[in-house]
Amino acid sequence: MNLPEIPLLSMLKERMGWLNQRQNLLSQNVANVDTPGYTARDLKPADFEQALRSATSSNNFSGSLVATNPRHITMSHGAGLFDAEDTPDIESNPSGNSVSLEQEMIKVSDTQMQFQAATNLYAKAIGMMKTAIGR
Amino acid sequence: MDLSTSMSVAASGMRTQSERMKIIAENIANANSTSASATGDPYRRKIATVKSDFDRELNATVVQSGRPVDDMSPFRMQYDPGNPTADAKGYVKLPNVNSLVEIMDMREAQRSYEADLTVMDATKSMLARTVDLLKK
Repeated sequence: MNLPEIPLLSMLKERMGWLNQRQNLLSQNVANVDTPGYTARDLKPADFEQALRSATSSNNFSGSLVATNPRHITMSHGAGLFDAEDTPDIESNPSGNSVSLEQEMIKVSDTQMQFQAATNLYAKAIGMMKTAIGR
Repeated sequence: MDLSTSMSVAASGMRTQSERMKIIAENIANANSTSASATGDPYRRKIATVKSDFDRELNATVVQSGRPVDDMSPFRMQYDPGNPTADAKGYVKLPNVNSLVEIMDMREAQRSYEADLTVMDATKSMLARTVDLLKK
């Protein structure tokens, strides 16, 4: 078992990937705050149960491909893995732009804090492993 | 797609807002620029345009400033018969710039710029956090 296969770490990696992609979408929303006709977008909430099942089960039947042989090609994880959806805010201005700057700022700081939580947990998990090997 | 993409997108927003700021500055600076002759038109107010553009390399929707368009509203007329550019009735054409409108536009550009800056700060701290994992 190598490091990325440890369920906790792989889940945190998944979480960080999700937050990374969300930050990406939010920055696009904020950059396009004055573009006429632009609709705000956000990621669909991550399905925690499904992530837990796929991370903890040894035989993975959740629909993604599993490499059981070193020569197998696995699906690349990371880029564009999570679904985005249009999330028009309550009001749109006369030019058809529906980005609410306040809403986006809340989402950005929320993403930032959750990312901090994920990285802190990651560091903690590594620290626990170091304790286990007696360092 | 990584965090530097977010930075690039935020940077494109900041670039666009500064371009917009430039046009607003032109308008304010030329608020009293009359034409050189009695028949010509004075400075015409420009309106900054913004458009979004899909960047294939970044795989993200960045923002760009479009060509500025001219404001075709009528010019201000001022009675000033002593002015060499006055017409036969003694009226001088002044630019169709309203400082109040320009100041409001400027504030809006400023706020959008600050928002982009905040996103950049947040992204930077996330990136720093990830790098900090190395020193644990």
